[in-house]
Amino acid sequence: MKLLQNSDIPIYQQIADQFRNDILSGRLAQGDYLPSIRGLAKELRISVITTMKAYELLETEGLVTAVQGKGFYVNAQNEEMLKEQHLRKVEECLAGAIQAARIAGLSGQELTDMLSALLAMPDDL
Amino acid sequence: MENKNVIYASEIRKKYKGFLLDIPLLQIPQGFATALIGENGAGKSTLMNILSGIRLDYQGQVTYFDGTETDVERAKERIGYVGPGCYFLPNWSIRQVEEISGLLFDTFDAARYRKWCSDLGIGQNGAGKKVSKLSDGNRMKLELAAVLSRETECLLMDEPASPLDPLMRDRLCSMIRDYLAEGDGARSVFFSTHNISDMENVTDYCMILENGQIVEQGFVWDLKKKYVLVKGEQTDAEQARNILYSFDGSAYGFEGICLAERVQELAGLDVALEEPSLFQISVAVMKKHSGISIASCA
Repeated sequence: MKLLQNSDIPIYQQIADQFRNDILSGRLAQGDYLPSIRGLAKELRISVITTMKAYELLETEGLVTAVQGKGFYVNAQNEEMLKEQHLRKVEECLAGAIQAARIAGLSGQELTDMLSALLAMPDDL
Repeated sequence: MENKNVIYASEIRKKYKGFLLDIPLLQIPQGFATALIGENGAGKSTLMNILSGIRLDYQGQVTYFDGTETDVERAKERIGYVGPGCYFLPNWSIRQVEEISGLLFDTFDAARYRKWCSDLGIGQNGAGKKVSKLSDGNRMKLELAAVLSRETECLLMDEPASPLDPLMRDRLCSMIRDYLAEGDGARSVFFSTHNISDMENVTDYCMILENGQIVEQGFVWDLKKKYVLVKGEQTDAEQARNILYSFDGSAYGFEGICLAERVQELAGLDVALEEPSLFQISVAVMKKHSGISIASCA
């Protein structure tokens, strides 16, 4: 896990983002426990309250559940919700592209052409 | 969030000539690292000495471990203290510190003490070296070695970072995190410091003491929500000044801390908002309550 100190994204958010990715991609499976709050703080060299805040964020998103005295485990991920999460991410990225295109003065047609061209390119790009 | 208190104190009062430490309520959360911040003479060491039992001439009550530990001798066994007034006598050798600590504390582990001494590079030229011959930094390391060789559940540290070099400060932060991680919620650390930036990554809860009173406290993330760092242009400076909690102006612009609840009053001004560091919050709060007037350079 890499944490950027001078990023606009707060550290707790960066931690939550990376665990969220691990959960949504299946690297962390249902029932798996996240590292202990203080153990993770020790490994990442950050304060306990920061990891706690990251886990609380994941909990409010319904991705993990806290068990008193045992820690946080990964919830069963609803297929629909997973797909929804991915769709939201695609939408966010496309919205960013549209904004950049407006600044650059691209027309809608030019933008969709560019998207088609990119889609047609080999995967390794 | 757990809300047990490792130390709970009420109605603490200690009077000196021209100074009064007055703390109606003090709660140090269990399972976290809590920083005590404040100016020179704010009363940090006095408070630390009261909580650690060094100073007994005060008014008020102090209870330990969520009020469950009533036996003072047992509480002392469960709490470790390090501070600038090193309690090892100057003519003791590093080996004698080991022997005497073994006599004083049931859980003192001599093998662990020797391991810490070698890890921290104290007494490399023999354990016969006297405490008085150690530098301030090495004396602090020796205190840390002795305290970490015991089974404790709470560390009280008065200015542990001050005499240490940057490398060792980093190591101190790791030690605190390791200590908390091993306890998994049962261990707590309370330290005073002027080196807020060095210690920010190990600070969970923060108390700011000014003129003998706690003027601000909270979990770091809550404080970061309460205060906002504002930067703006010179043309807006005068207007912003009336709204901001703390204000620093220059010929080119201004910077200050604003209470989050008042941020909307800045609407219409061309300002940038950022999350303040603990250092920036502490300085703003200390300036606000300081008895010394620090002329702002407007």
